[in-house]
This record gives sequence, structure tokens and C-alpha cells, in this order.
Amino acid sequence: MQDVVARVAYPILVFIILVLLWQWGAERALFPAYILPAPSTIALRTAATVPVMFGHAIITTFEVACGFVLAIICGVFLAWMLAHVRVFEQAIYPWLVFIQVLPKVALGPLLVVWLGVGFMPKALVSFLLAFFPVMIDTLVGLKSVQRDYVFLLRSTGASRLRRFLLFQLPYALPHIFGSLKVAITLSVVGAIVGEFIGADKGLGYVLIVATGSLDTVLIFVALVWISVLSLLLYALVCLFERIFVSWHAAARAHELRDAA
Amino acid sequence: MRSPCSASHIVLRDVAKSYGKGDNAIPAIESITLEIARGEFLSILGPSGCGKSTLLMMIAGLVPPTRGLIEVGQRPVTEPLTDVGIAFQQDLLFDWRTVLGNVMVQADLRGLDRATARAKARTLLERIGLDAFENRHPWELSGGMRQRVAICRTLLHGASILLLDEPFGALDALTRDQMNVHLQNLWIDERPTAVMVTHSISEAVFLSDRVIVLSSRPARFAYALQIDLPRPRTVEMRDASEFVRFQHELRQAIEMPQ
Repeated sequence: MQDVVARVAYPILVFIILVLLWQWGAERALFPAYILPAPSTIALRTAATVPVMFGHAIITTFEVACGFVLAIICGVFLAWMLAHVRVFEQAIYPWLVFIQVLPKVALGPLLVVWLGVGFMPKALVSFLLAFFPVMIDTLVGLKSVQRDYVFLLRSTGASRLRRFLLFQLPYALPHIFGSLKVAITLSVVGAIVGEFIGADKGLGYVLIVATGSLDTVLIFVALVWISVLSLLLYALVCLFERIFVSWHAAARAHELRDAA
Repeated sequence: MRSPCSASHIVLRDVAKSYGKGDNAIPAIESITLEIARGEFLSILGPSGCGKSTLLMMIAGLVPPTRGLIEVGQRPVTEPLTDVGIAFQQDLLFDWRTVLGNVMVQADLRGLDRATARAKARTLLERIGLDAFENRHPWELSGGMRQRVAICRTLLHGASILLLDEPFGALDALTRDQMNVHLQNLWIDERPTAVMVTHSISEAVFLSDRVIVLSSRPARFAYALQIDLPRPRTVEMRDASEFVRFQHELRQAIEMPQ
């Protein structure tokens, strides 16, 4: 019980105190409303704009989801290729590192020229940001397999696909989920930045419009939605991790107990 | 040396293994010539790092020899054998599968009929005293229980060759004695040809029809001993004078200046 209080109640308490201070400062006009509007103003505006903002949030969520899923598929597949096809690793890996070093967000305008201001360029920027951590962590997971496991698998005569599905993928899954937690937040960044560059809908678009008209309250409303979206997606990844790699946490807990 | 058409199941002729190339090559195994009969239980004793495990992996076709010929069933080994069950020093269990699932993984990887395999897996687990644990996960088991699961996985598909790479090396002496009894009983059921690498003289005597001793690196054939004790052997036989004499003989062979 003490634990629950410390872990849940204390952070909420901090939040409430900060918001109250902020509200108090706004009412005393310690700072101008066009710089920092009162929390109550933001809350009212958020409540009043729910239907419109929800529509924009759905668009952004869809872009994030597509970029993120594509990043998982490509990241895991490329990692598998890198781990198993020697020539591929030698020829492609340096280029993948090169692409990672590039500020991928800077590719956004080019993608808009190529693909227009629609859905595609946002999903692609989202994908580009999320892909690399997934690939690297999956590769680390695949390469950490001990030699004897490889011998065991090869002695069964199983096909590469069977070995991947029955052993390599589940073995690397804890690593993959570690990277997905990083990748999902990067995916949101990618979609928002994609919308900055050119869009007529989405939460990033709302931010740009609000900035253009110096509507600070609307900026905050958009930030609230983006934060909530990010948090929910992150929580979703954590939920999937719990479902799919619960065995890993349990095994680790037993290892630690045995070591103690 | 017997003719190639004899009943030898596994034949090694002048097999050598070195690591590295040219003048920098480090010899691990100098020259081993060996014939193993079908259904024989052979143990390989030798000092640490003398290439015993490498020898097993070469028989399995997982590591190519630098020189010499390895034949299994009169056919040269050129790719990994599949009619083989391998047990390693580490149990190599899959944490995400249950005990039964870990035995079944052998069938799943090989694409065997699941219903038949599951029945066999249950029988094996029962024979080895783990039937009550089939739905537990590996991390809930002791080291000895984990290794028993690994042995069941090794035996599930009824391979004609068992390769045992110090499977009980990480276990305490008491557990190890029990494991030897378990392994012997399971081996007697189907009598596959078994080759085991071990550090334990008493384990080698208890399980084997024949024990060979290798010299320290680079490994050469140093000594061979036929163990003609009746089967099934029991824990009490470890104290019998014959058993002790075999152990003594092997210990002398290992300590012999080479």
C-alpha cells in the first residue's frame, strides 16, 4: 500500500501543485496570457474543441501506426538479413549507418515534393525515425545467440524460416520490445514533423496553424493531445510487451533471486 | 582396422583439426582413428580443452575436420547430420516454452507429427520423473531438472546417434549420479549409438561399453578400455571392486606421462 502511494500519488501531487501555481500566477497576471495562458483557459478550450481535435488526432495516429508497423517489419527483416547473409552485411551495413547519421527529418521536404502533402510522406518520416533503433536492437538480439544453440538448431535440419519463427524471433523478442519503446516515441515525432512540412490535417498541422495566428491557447491544446497520444501509444507497446515476453521478466526475476 | 563394409556405425580415419591457417595454425586434434559400433556407448575422457567437444561436433557434421575422413553409416559426413540428438553442457532450454513445450520443440523444428511426439514426450518425462512439471517453465526448475528436460528433448525423435557433450558437467555429484542412472535407463530403451564427452571417470565407467582417453592438446588417442559390466548398472555397483578397478585403470591412463 505504501508503495502504491509513493508510485502513484506523489507524482500526481507534484502535477497538481505545479498546475495550481501556474493558475495562481496567471490570475495575478505575473505573465501575459499570450505567452502562457491559464490552465483553466486551456482546459476549457480543450473541452470545447474535442470533436475537431479528435479528427486531427485520428489522422496523426494513423500516420504513426503505419510508420511504426513498417519500421518493425523492415527493421526485423533487415536485422535478420544482416545477421545471416554475410555479403549483405558487408555491402549494406555501412549505408544503413550513413542513413542513421543523416538528420532524417531533413528528408521531409523532398518526400513532400515526391509524394505530395497527403498521408504518405508523414508515415515515411515516422518510419525513417523509428526504423533504425528497431533494426539495431533486433540485430543485437539475433547476434547474442550462443554457438551451441546454432548447433542444436542445425542438427534438426529445420528450414531457416522455421528456425527464425521457433527460436530466433522469440529469443530476440525482449531486445525488440526494448527498441519498440524508443521507436514509438520517435514515430510520433516523425509524424508531427512530417505534418509541419506540409499538411492540411493532423495535430502537427494544428500546431502550425495555431502558431501562424499566435493562438497560444490552441498550441497548448494541440500539445495536450500530442502528449496524451504519445503516452497511450507507449502504454500500448508496454502492454504488448507484457503479453508477449512475460516469460522474460519472470525468468530474469528468478535469475536475480538465485543470484541473491 | 576393420573393412569399410563392417557394422561400424561411426568411423573416424586420421581425423585432425587445427584452427587458423598456414604457419599460425594451432593444432587442436592431431590424429584420431576410431570405430564405433552400432548401439555402442562410448565415452571420451581427456583433459580440458583437448578438443573433445570439437570431435563430437565434427561427427555431427557441424564442424568440418581439417584432415581425415568421418563416415556415419558408411557415408562420408559432409553436412550436418539430422538423425542425431545432441545434448550440451548447458541445457539450452527455451524460456518461453513450458517443460513439455521444450521437449516438443525437437518435433516442431523437425516438422514431426505433433500428436505422436506429444505422447512420446509425456512418456519420456514420466520415465525421468518430471511428468508433474510438464506445464512449468524452465526458470522454475533446478539445474538437474532442467538438464533432464534437455535429455528428453535429445531423445524425443528417436535418433540413431546420441552425442552428449558433458551434459552433466554443471551438476553437483549427487545429482550427477542420479542423472547417470536416468540416462542409462532411457538409453537402454532404444539403444542408439552414443558418444559422450566427460571429465568424470566414474560417470564414464558407469555409462560406457568402452572408454577412450585422449592426450592433452593436440589430442591424440592415448588409451582405450572395454567396460564389460552387466546392464542395467545400479548405483550400488559403483562400490564393486571391478568398478573401482576400471576407474583406477583410467585414472592411471590419464596421469600417464605423454
